[in-house]
Amino acid sequence: MTESFSFQPPLIASWLIDLFATPEQAESILGDLLEEFSDLASKSGVAFARRWYWWQSVRTIVHLFHAEFRGGPPWAIGSVLVGFFFMNSFFVGFFEWATLANCGQNVFGCSELPADFVLMKNGLLIWDLVLSLSIGCIVSAAAKGREMVTAITLGLILGVWSTVLFLVWSASHHYALLLLPLLMTFAASILIVLGGVIVRQIRMASARRATPD
Amino acid sequence: MSNRDYLGEFEHIVILALLRLADRAYGVTVRQEIDLRIGRDVSIGAIYATLDRLEAKGYVKSHLGDPTGERGGRSKRFFHVTAKGITAVKRTHHALRSMTEGLNLATRYSQ
Repeated sequence: MTESFSFQPPLIASWLIDLFATPEQAESILGDLLEEFSDLASKSGVAFARRWYWWQSVRTIVHLFHAEFRGGPPWAIGSVLVGFFFMNSFFVGFFEWATLANCGQNVFGCSELPADFVLMKNGLLIWDLVLSLSIGCIVSAAAKGREMVTAITLGLILGVWSTVLFLVWSASHHYALLLLPLLMTFAASILIVLGGVIVRQIRMASARRATPD
Repeated sequence: MSNRDYLGEFEHIVILALLRLADRAYGVTVRQEIDLRIGRDVSIGAIYATLDRLEAKGYVKSHLGDPTGERGGRSKRFFHVTAKGITAVKRTHHALRSMTEGLNLATRYSQ
């Protein structure tokens, strides 16, 4: 074992590359990065080498994401579309959250509040969060090998769509009243991506078990 | 491969780096060669994304070396240019030469 090998690169950066790269790419990319990192750490110091590693990792992930997105096979594009359809059909959504969030203030014309209004709101909140995580997992599982690209694309579509609605509605309604529905859809987007991370991690773990060192 | 298949700018640079490095061409050396020759600091991800695309087109081939301790037990992935890749480089060079012929870039367009 060489002296340089005692320097450890940032683990989170390595984990992120592992998430976005195919197993073959991850093997070579992480090996190359570690080789240069060790060299830099012994020449310019560990702090500099860690900064360099992070910068390289971010740029690498951007390139990998772009390459995966560009070469996306039909089933990956199809799973994003199906995921968006499911979210549109079953997700409580921006409009509904805007109405529910402001029912008590009669801003959106809710004349009669049900007796179990708070319970209903909490139930819907849990439903939305579980649904988002489940759809993230299903869509990523369908797009085998492109889990992260698919989940992030779906999450981004949902996030951008909600932001557009937020901006359009803000012009005619009270800005603060729309923040909760916007945050809800952002949380849903994050959970979709988290679903992708879970599926990817499971796949990586089973791939490693199948090919022991 | 059609006669109109030319290499993109970065594909061209990467293939030339592989040709220069011969049997020493893998991610780190390709990145360093490009930095050394043209001063362009490219990410390792950009190198691999391009190499994977070139491999899919049949212009380069890769094989794994032995795992080494300095790489945390990971293997180096070595690349070499195929005959089809050489043909693509020649075609691209020919196209560039044809397009620049008679332009006298050094004097006529100097700033």
